[in-house]
Amino acid sequence: MPTVLKVEGLKKAYGTKEALRGIDFEVQTGEIFALIGPNGAGKTTTLRIVSTLLTLSGGKVTFLGHDLKKEPEKIRENISYLPEEAGAYRNLKGRDYLKFMANFYEETREKAEETVKRAEAIAELGSALNDKVGTYSKGMVRKLLLARALMTKPAMAVLDEPTSGLDVINSLEVREIIKKFAKEGISVLLSSHNMLEIEFLSDRVALIDKGLILDSGTSQELKDKYQAPNLEVAFRSALR
Amino acid sequence: MKKFTNLLRKEIRELINKQLIISLLMMMAIFYFIGVMAKTEMKKAAATQKISVMDLDQSELSRGLAGSLKTANFEIEWNQEKDPEAAVQAAKQGDTYLLLVIPQGFGESIVRLEPKEISTYTFLRSFSIGGIRKSEILKAVITATNTYLSNDVLKKKVPDVPPDILKSPIRSKDFVIVKDRMAEGSASAISGMVYSQSIIIPIILFMIIMYSSQMVISAIAMEKQNKTLETLLTVPIPRTAIATTKMLAAGIVGLLSAAIYMIGMKSYMGGMMGNIRASASTNTVIKQLGLTLTGNGYLLLGIALFFAILCGLAMATILGVLAEDFRSAQTLMMPLMLLILIPYLLSFFADVNSLPLPVKLLIMAIPFSHPFLATPNIMLGNYAAVIYGILYMAVVFLVLVFIAARIFSTDRVLTMKLRWGKKKVVL
Repeated sequence: MPTVLKVEGLKKAYGTKEALRGIDFEVQTGEIFALIGPNGAGKTTTLRIVSTLLTLSGGKVTFLGHDLKKEPEKIRENISYLPEEAGAYRNLKGRDYLKFMANFYEETREKAEETVKRAEAIAELGSALNDKVGTYSKGMVRKLLLARALMTKPAMAVLDEPTSGLDVINSLEVREIIKKFAKEGISVLLSSHNMLEIEFLSDRVALIDKGLILDSGTSQELKDKYQAPNLEVAFRSALR
Repeated sequence: MKKFTNLLRKEIRELINKQLIISLLMMMAIFYFIGVMAKTEMKKAAATQKISVMDLDQSELSRGLAGSLKTANFEIEWNQEKDPEAAVQAAKQGDTYLLLVIPQGFGESIVRLEPKEISTYTFLRSFSIGGIRKSEILKAVITATNTYLSNDVLKKKVPDVPPDILKSPIRSKDFVIVKDRMAEGSASAISGMVYSQSIIIPIILFMIIMYSSQMVISAIAMEKQNKTLETLLTVPIPRTAIATTKMLAAGIVGLLSAAIYMIGMKSYMGGMMGNIRASASTNTVIKQLGLTLTGNGYLLLGIALFFAILCGLAMATILGVLAEDFRSAQTLMMPLMLLILIPYLLSFFADVNSLPLPVKLLIMAIPFSHPFLATPNIMLGNYAAVIYGILYMAVVFLVLVFIAARIFSTDRVLTMKLRWGKKKVVL
């Protein structure tokens, strides 16, 4: 499978504090690649850099052959980012929010409408899309945002804690949506604290701590390597 | 361009919400109501007024004085008490605002040219303009009566010389000069009239700059508070466009709000100042001196205001980035508010040119000072000062936009925060 994203020796410093100390990984087309690690490990910083939200202090990021540093606009056209605590404009109706976002990616009104229809199908919010986002529950907002992230059929979706704060049912639905879209060829780079979620979703996993990738591979490979019954134990062993 | 208008439309929609519309309508209604009330009060003051008169003299002169009051639109209510104290008590019980006590022997003493005091009592039942005006009218009547009486005596004593010449042997002809124009008139009357006619301009300037800046700072803070900024920064649109649309939308809505605000304000001021009417001669002198804003003058003032708004918006954009949420945005408005408030208040009380040089330079360094100074400068023909002010604001705006664009195109848009507890900017 062709490589969509290539991260080489990625470094990021906030003043004197080094958040990333040189990490390397690759994401293939249609692959779900997960970053797991404790708080402050550098997961969100990595996702933010890949999404062009933050600049890098060192190393190189290439997405579909475009250098992130030189051509961030090209990357923005092909990447959708879902931040961990993202919100939508409370005064806009759900459908209007989707239309507003679709207009950034589509050239014609017809294409934008098609994109919105796709988002409606993903979100499955029905008539609630005619209500203002301010009236939505947390789960509804998350589904709306996930639909926004996937409706443009990006080459890669960058999802930071996609099921954060959601109940079991909503989490299951969100995971199924992600899995379905990956099967259709969308690459996914995600981070999560939930190891079960990672095992269920991801094709490959990178264990990250203190700005460094400790190890990477499929869930099964990591479990076998550390002789662990699950990813949590494998991660603890890798930390040691 | 399509993406830009898409974003601009969203920004305007976000700003024009139910709360804004309701608060603007409420404000207009309140101003209109106050204006109508003030107008009614002024009308009441101009209508027939009741005055309680205690005439202990019953002479021809005292009746003449009462007659003058009737001519001045007063309705006389004769007070039948025996002494002034009882008259005050009786008047206090009624609804009259004024009591005039003419003492016994008033007529005789005037004839003998011996001063005799009459007493006036004003019952201050409110602090309204109408209430104060009543006693002013009474005073004017007494002054007119004094003039009449003294003229009468002078005519009898020196029949060959007109009393006016006797009382004011020195006549003065007042001229006012503005630049190369000269006209006959009183400087204080002209200044008073120009002031009353242009008082509204600084208020308009203050409100437009405040409104627009407040909106852009809140818009950025709300993006942060609602966690929508991160998503917006990853969509395929230049970062500078995000900052520009916020400024533009706030500018448009700010102007619109200020216009609506001003309609209410005009009604309010119309009610308050409806009684101030320039006499035809004062108006002529003002025109002769060129102390009015011509089409070009309004254009210059408009350009000055436009650049001040731009400076305010750019400054608010930078301050908005420092805000963590809507609440902290309100606090961050403080420095901007002070920068607008200083020239605003100065425009009412002081002449910047007469201030000491360091203070003057300090005031001129504030970009918002220039639109406030523009009106008097345009009226007085100091166009160079206005143009320099505009150029200065344009330079300040470009510097601020450069800083704002730099912030928006780097990590600082997300990482820069003003932490009040630690009192330092975290970059």
